[in-house]
Amino acid sequence: MRLFLLALQLDQAARATVPTVTVGLLILPGLLPLGAPWLSETMPHFALIAVFYWTLYRPDLLPPAAVFLVGLLSDILAGHPTGLGALTLLAVHVVVQNQRQAFVLRSFPIVWGGFALIAAAAFLGMWLMTCLLALRLVMAPAAILQLGATVLCFPVLAWGLVRVHRQIIR
Amino acid sequence: MALRPVTFTRVVQPVRSLWQRFSVASMGVAAFALMLLGNVDNVIVERMRVGVTDILTPVLLVTAKPVAMVSSGVEWVTRLYDLQGQVDHLREENRVLRQWWHRAVTLEQENERLRRLSRFVPPPSPASISARAITATGGPFVRSMLVSAGRRHGVEPGQVAVSGDGALSGVVVAAGERHARVLLVTDLNSQIPVTVQGTGGTSYPGILSGDNSRTPVMRFLPHGAHVSTGDRVVTSGLGGVLPAGLPVGLVTSITGSEVRVRPLAQWSGPDHVRLLKYDIGKVPGVRP
Repeated sequence: MRLFLLALQLDQAARATVPTVTVGLLILPGLLPLGAPWLSETMPHFALIAVFYWTLYRPDLLPPAAVFLVGLLSDILAGHPTGLGALTLLAVHVVVQNQRQAFVLRSFPIVWGGFALIAAAAFLGMWLMTCLLALRLVMAPAAILQLGATVLCFPVLAWGLVRVHRQIIR
Repeated sequence: MALRPVTFTRVVQPVRSLWQRFSVASMGVAAFALMLLGNVDNVIVERMRVGVTDILTPVLLVTAKPVAMVSSGVEWVTRLYDLQGQVDHLREENRVLRQWWHRAVTLEQENERLRRLSRFVPPPSPASISARAITATGGPFVRSMLVSAGRRHGVEPGQVAVSGDGALSGVVVAAGERHARVLLVTDLNSQIPVTVQGTGGTSYPGILSGDNSRTPVMRFLPHGAHVSTGDRVVTSGLGGVLPAGLPVGLVTSITGSEVRVRPLAQWSGPDHVRLLKYDIGKVPGVRP
């Protein structure tokens, strides 16, 4: 009986880490050496979608510390200024958590529109920080394409995350 | 008044609530501080970056492998699709190259004669380390990549990364035990001293400065420099960081005073690079 309870607890603990693990795994596509440079420049920011989704539907399972650490890791591996991605993901996490009531239990197009706004703000923030750190105006036309790709990919990835949510976390 | 028993919860509770209240804010501040410290090349931040990347290099190596297989498969299929066109193109190119070959042989013999006359000692050719790209060449805000060779293979910061055909890709900016980060010539922070080789033997020094676009821009060209599209851009070796004479790119667009250069090494994604071990100081044309 005690062993069974322990197994149950382990099982639940493992399920609770799923949001963090998905966010962590979703930084990988942006790092893959895909040959064609245009492909990696415009690779959607999947981790942003995952942070948005989990903060909206399971904020209890995505602690801010996890968001921060995953962001830091992606910065280090991608060669961004250390902290840029961490700050962006953390800001998205905080904003979504404060605006949960506006989105949760709403129809999908509204959620999608909300995501588009927040993603645009996140990219604008990243661009401003990049300019500030370089102390000059940086042209980043690929960022607009990446933002577009991220917003367009939202329904597909959100559908996948809904599957994960229902099948694994329950 | 009876003392309440000291329990774990009672001790931890205030700490925990304090943490919950300020954790997000402190993490935000930490991220900001890391960003500022990293920007001024703080040693601790740099060590952390290199250490973490070294630990995760095996993961990146594993994920990069299937991607390389798939992309080479895709490349094979696309090549198959336009086989006839490519054969025609290669025939034409071969015809032109044959003419160049004849010229090269003549010039080489002439060069040899002149060298003998002037008792010229040729520079030693540099040793090189081959490495595989294990991450993408960056997103919209950064142009750098990790490669699969590090200090244990002899890689040091400051070494030059060239593509398969010998054109400059970038410069090694950080090296861990098993990995190295190459800052590409297109990156915002890349400044390469170069020479634009104009027509009729003229050449103009300048700095090739990246701006995260595909075509870095020429800065500090001398006043009245006569540059035209198609001119070759090679490293000048000024400043003693890079060896002189490495091919970098071709001038592709001139709008007003803005001269843009298309790097030769970036036309397709560099999947393999060579890191050259130059001993700066022994290379002629380099002033340490």
